[in-house]
Amino acid sequence: MEILMIRLVPIILILFSLLRGEDSTLLNAHIRIIPKIMALYPTAKYIPSATLAIVYEGNRKVFAQQIASQINSLYNGKIGEVYFKAIPLSTNEVLNSKSVTFIYFVQMSSKTVEEITEWGTDNGIPTFSYDMSDLNRGALGSVSIERNTMIYLNKNVLKNGKFHFNESLYSIARLVE
Amino acid sequence: MINTKFKNAKLSTKIITALFISGIIIFGAISFITINIVRDFTLKGQKEKASLLINTVETPISVALFLGTNGLKEKVLPIIRLKEVYALNITDNDGSVVFDYHKEHSLQTDTSIQVSKALYEPSSRQKIGTITLSYSGEEFMNTMEQFYQLYILLLLIAAVILWIILEWINRLLLPIKLLAQKVHNFRPGEKIIFDIPYKQKEFGQIIQAFNSMQDRVWAYADKFQTVNKNLENKVAEQTKEALRHLYYDSMTTLPNRLKLQEDFSDAPRHTIAIINIDDFKEINDFFGIEEGDTLLIQIAHWLEELKLNPYRIGGDEFAFKIPDGPTQEDFHREAELILTMLSEKVFIIGEETVHVRGTIGIAIDSDKPLIHADVALNRARLLHKPYSVYNQSEGIEQQYRNNIAMSSHIRQALLEHRIVCQYQPILSCTTGKIEKYETLVRIKNPDGSLIGPNDFLFISQKTKLYHHITQEVVYQACHQFAGRHEQFSINLSGSDIIDQKTINIIESTLMQTGTANRVIFEILESEGIENFEVVNLFINRMKALGAKIAIDDFGTGYSNFENILQLNVDFLKIDGSLIKSIHENPRHRIVVEAIVDFAKRIGVETVAEFVSSQEILATVSSLGITYSQGFYTGKPQFFENASV
Repeated sequence: MEILMIRLVPIILILFSLLRGEDSTLLNAHIRIIPKIMALYPTAKYIPSATLAIVYEGNRKVFAQQIASQINSLYNGKIGEVYFKAIPLSTNEVLNSKSVTFIYFVQMSSKTVEEITEWGTDNGIPTFSYDMSDLNRGALGSVSIERNTMIYLNKNVLKNGKFHFNESLYSIARLVE
Repeated sequence: MINTKFKNAKLSTKIITALFISGIIIFGAISFITINIVRDFTLKGQKEKASLLINTVETPISVALFLGTNGLKEKVLPIIRLKEVYALNITDNDGSVVFDYHKEHSLQTDTSIQVSKALYEPSSRQKIGTITLSYSGEEFMNTMEQFYQLYILLLLIAAVILWIILEWINRLLLPIKLLAQKVHNFRPGEKIIFDIPYKQKEFGQIIQAFNSMQDRVWAYADKFQTVNKNLENKVAEQTKEALRHLYYDSMTTLPNRLKLQEDFSDAPRHTIAIINIDDFKEINDFFGIEEGDTLLIQIAHWLEELKLNPYRIGGDEFAFKIPDGPTQEDFHREAELILTMLSEKVFIIGEETVHVRGTIGIAIDSDKPLIHADVALNRARLLHKPYSVYNQSEGIEQQYRNNIAMSSHIRQALLEHRIVCQYQPILSCTTGKIEKYETLVRIKNPDGSLIGPNDFLFISQKTKLYHHITQEVVYQACHQFAGRHEQFSINLSGSDIIDQKTINIIESTLMQTGTANRVIFEILESEGIENFEVVNLFINRMKALGAKIAIDDFGTGYSNFENILQLNVDFLKIDGSLIKSIHENPRHRIVVEAIVDFAKRIGVETVAEFVSSQEILATVSSLGITYSQGFYTGKPQFFENASV
C-alpha cells in the first residue's frame, strides 16, 4: 500500500502542479534539495525534531500535503544528523506557529509571500520559495534548474534575518540582492 | 687469509682503508637518509599541492554531492584546467563514479601522484564520497633528478677530498717509511745517520729515541765484542782440548785409532803395521796396572824415537804407517829389526828392568789396513810367529765372515729350537749288547739337513753361546732317557764345568728327570783337566747325585795318571786316533794296551771310540776294552720319540 502510495504521489503531484502551474521537474528537484538545505541550517540540527513547513495558500492543502508526504517518504524523517518532519501548513497556521523550523512555500500571491517572508525574517525562520521571483519579495532562497541546478540566496534577507547556514552552502549558492 | 694480509699491511694502507670504508659508510648512510628525506619531502610537497587543489573544490563538491545537484564539472573546472592535473575522479559511498575526468596526455611518461580525499556531508560530517586527483609527478622527478646530479657532484668532491687525505696521510707517514729503511739497512759496526727532511716534533722524538738506542747498542756491542772474543778464545781452547781428547791418547800422548783412521782418508790404500806387546797382561798382573801404564808410555816414546810416528790403537797395541815402495822382503826385514830392537831394549818398571817382546801384523797396500793388519797379527799370535803379513789368498777374512754367519745361525737355531740330539750306541764288548748311548749335538737346518758339532761348537765357544747349547742338550737327553733304561753320556767342556749357572741347570734337570744314576758326563782330557781343582769339585757334586764321569779322548792330552787317579773317574774313552788304526799300527796297540792295563788296575772301565770295522772290534775286544763305539757298532741316530 505504501509502495503504491509512493508511486501514486508523484503522479498526483504532477496533476496538482499542472492545475496551478508548478513545474513538476523543478518541484521534484525541490522536494529532493529543500530538506537538505534545511539540514545545512544549524538551528535544525540542534532541536530534537525540526519541522519543515510546506506552506500553501487557499485550497491547496492536498497539494502541500502531497509534497510533505513525498519528502517524509523520501527521507524517512532524517537527513544526516537532523531529524525532521514535513507538514503542510496554511499561511495562517504558519504565522501562528511557534514550532516551524524551515518554510518552503509553493506558488502564492505576492502579498501572502511578502507576509510569510517578513514573518520568517523576523522570527529567524528561513523561507525558501518555489518561485525564484519571490526572492524579490523577501524569500531567503530558491532553487532553479538551469543548465545546472542552482541555489540562490537573498543576500539582504540573509543579512537582515541574521541567518547562518553551513559555510559550505555558500560555496555553491549564488547570492543575489 | 684476507684478515692476515690486512693485519700485516702497512700502516698507511690500514688508515687509508679505514678512512675509505668509514667514508663510504658515512656517505652511504647520509645519502640514504638525505635521498629519502628529500624524496619524501618533495613527494609530500607535491601531494600537498594536489591536496590543496582538492581543498579548493572539496566544499562545493561535497555540498553538490550532498544536495544531489549536478554541475560538478563547473566546480572542478578551475583545477582540471591546470596542466599538472592528469585526472580527477569522484565516487559516492557506493563506489559509483559520479564524475570522471582524464586529460589527454599522449606525452605523459613521468609518474603521476595520486591523492585521494574523502568527501563529507556538510552538516553531519558523514562520508559521502571520495575524490581522487592524479597530479603530475614531473616536478617531483625533476627535483629528484636535480638532487641526484647534486649528489653525484658531492660524491666527486668527496672522492677528491678523500684522495687528498690519502695523499696527505702518505706524506705524513713517509718519514716512518724512511726511518724503517734506515733501520732495516742497519749493519753492525755502522752508525745510522737519520738525515730525514721532516721537522715534525713526533719524528724528532723518534729519531732522538733511535739515536739514544743506537748509542746504547754501541756500548753493549763493545762489551759483547770483548766477551765474545774471550768466549771465542775459550771455545778454541776447549775445541783444541776436545780434539786432543778425541784424537790423542791421554796417557802416552800418541794419536789414537780415530786419528789413524782420519789420517787414512788422504789415500784409498795404506801399508801399516800393528805391534802388540806379548804377555802384557802378565806384566800388568805382576807389576800392577800403574807400572804397566808406565811401560806403555816408555814403549810409546821408544817408538817415537825410532821416527815411526806411532799411534796407540788399543791397550797394548801400537800402529805405524810404513812408506810404500819396499818389497815384501823389506817389510819382513823391517819387522824383524823392530822386534829385535824391542827385545833388546831395556825398560825400567819401578826399580826393575824388564825386556818385552812383541808380535807384528802387517797389511801391505790394503784398502782395509787396520782390519787386515789385525788379522795378520792374530794369525801370527795363533801360529806363535813373531810377525805375519796379511795375505788375502789365505782366506782368513772369509773364515771370519763364515764364523760371523755361523754365530748368527746358532743363535737363530737356539731361538727356533733347532738344536737336536742324536744318540750313538755304545756296545758291551763282553755281551755284545748296547748298554749305553753317547749324546751328540747337531743343528737341524730348516731344510732338514744336519750340521755336525765340529762346524759350530768352536764358534759357539767364542760367542758365549756354548752354555746355552749344553743346557739344551742336557735337557733333551735327560728327558729322552727318563723313559728308557740305558745309560747315556753327555759331553761337557771346561767352560761348562766352571759355569755355575750351567751346573745348577744340570743338577735341577737330573733331579726332575730322575736320570742322575744313568748319566755319564764326558770331559775332554785336553780341556777339562787344565783346571784340576774346579773339575774335581764338579765331579764330586755330580757323583753325589749318582752320575758317572768319563775322560774323553784319553791318550792324546797331557794329563798325568796321578790326576786321573785323584779325579775318581768311572770311564776312560780312548781317543779314536789310537783305535782307528790299532789293527795296523803296533805303536797304537801298545799305547792302548797300557791304557787298558792302567784302567783295569785302578778299576776304571774303558771305551774304544772310532770302531769302524769287524777287525777293530775284534782287536779291542781281545785287548779287554769294556765298550766299543763307532760306525761299525752303531751310527748316531734319532730316537723315534726324540723331541726336536
